[in-house]
Amino acid sequence: MMEYALYLGCTIPLKMPHFEKAFREISKILGIEYKEMEGAGCCPDPVATQSLNIDTWLTLGARNLAIAEKLGLDIMTVCSGCFETLKTVHVLLEEDKAAFDRVNTVLSKLGIEYKGTSKVFHFAELFSQDEMLEKIKSKVVKPLDSLNIASHYGCHLIRPSKIMQFDHPERPESMDKILKAIGASPLEFAAKLECCGFCARLQDEIGMNLVEEKMTDLKNLDKEVDGMVAVCPACASQYDRKEKLVSRKSEKELDIPVLYLAELMAIAFGVDTAKLSLKQRSVKPTKLMEKLKI
Amino acid sequence: MSDKVVKQSKDLDHNFRYEISEKVGTKSLLKCIQCGVCSSGCTVTEYVDLQPHRVVASCLLGLREEVLSSNAIWTCSLCHRCTERCPKNVDYSFILALLRNLAVKEGNVPIEYSATINTIYNNGFVVPYTGGMKTTIDRRRNKMDLPQIVGPNLDEIQFIIRETGLGNLIKKSEEDEK
Repeated sequence: MMEYALYLGCTIPLKMPHFEKAFREISKILGIEYKEMEGAGCCPDPVATQSLNIDTWLTLGARNLAIAEKLGLDIMTVCSGCFETLKTVHVLLEEDKAAFDRVNTVLSKLGIEYKGTSKVFHFAELFSQDEMLEKIKSKVVKPLDSLNIASHYGCHLIRPSKIMQFDHPERPESMDKILKAIGASPLEFAAKLECCGFCARLQDEIGMNLVEEKMTDLKNLDKEVDGMVAVCPACASQYDRKEKLVSRKSEKELDIPVLYLAELMAIAFGVDTAKLSLKQRSVKPTKLMEKLKI
Repeated sequence: MSDKVVKQSKDLDHNFRYEISEKVGTKSLLKCIQCGVCSSGCTVTEYVDLQPHRVVASCLLGLREEVLSSNAIWTCSLCHRCTERCPKNVDYSFILALLRNLAVKEGNVPIEYSATINTIYNNGFVVPYTGGMKTTIDRRRNKMDLPQIVGPNLDEIQFIIRETGLGNLIKKSEEDEK
């Protein structure tokens, strides 16, 4: 039996519970069990907290990891930001004894001890391992073979590779392998590995330009693009929200629906669409749903 | 920092490079050969006043004030391509985080960043989860048949934030609100 401590973070459970729903549904079908990480807080976010004070970031992160340690389980994350923070905290505190001691000095005052015994995974890593891919294939009841899907890996899932230690930092394959396993055709395109710009907080223009660049690239392909998938709620909402804003500004028609990878997997696994909230986004996947007759 | 900076050697902070490189993750600063690979792959290279290789050069030269007040250190989108591609394994991502930490200590912190830690301080999450917001979120989750959220003990979160040195930021924002 596969069992993990499920770390949901903030954005998915509080703002995008439909992503969580899809994820829990596919986990059930794949036979993965979870213990809830009760009492966990923000990972904390790798942008602001790390920027303000690295020790605050490490200590709050270690506090979350200690909850999983008490459960005696490795951690499953569902957001690239959480994955980056928790994995970096785990790796860094293993390498930096002085930081490990500083963190534990603070935590000990709360009666908490961080040991470093729970490993941290993102579902894209676990699901793209050979054995899991076979299992995923075996659970498909509605192959998505009519769909051309773009995968957005984002940055924090795969870089810096010395920390994330998973997939290739510039030629990643994990998401595309999962897409193939559910029957979809993953796309190759020039802007595939571009950043979504969500973390460039001071200048909105950066995100707008990056979204325009990637979506325009997809629109210019000689194939019809049925959708893009992401494995991070920040990336997903960045493209979904900004596509419309860019369209209004540039008179381009950017209308590629953005789905969370678990949602597309849930469709392929035949999860009742009444349980999914596929229209809960700015760019509705109407055409994709018509094509699949769902 | 598009203007030319002219400084006498005595006005440079010759210790700045060591202040940065004494930390485990940032020792690599001293290995930079100024090849510019970081800047050529940088997602935000056209938006910053100081490109990554110039930030590093400025640190090595001791231009402390210029670096810590630049917009470059806050504009980064954290795509980590610089760190990934550096042929000398300079960890620019981590160096940048440390530079931001130093800027914060000197009182240079954009509201976009300090607001986040305040939200975490008051909610335990980066998303507000108190009062009416909590009711709405809980109702929505309930409808989807998702488990009840068992949030963190706020005393613990607040203790850690204060104990690790960000108490001033919280205090400042509480005063601003008043």
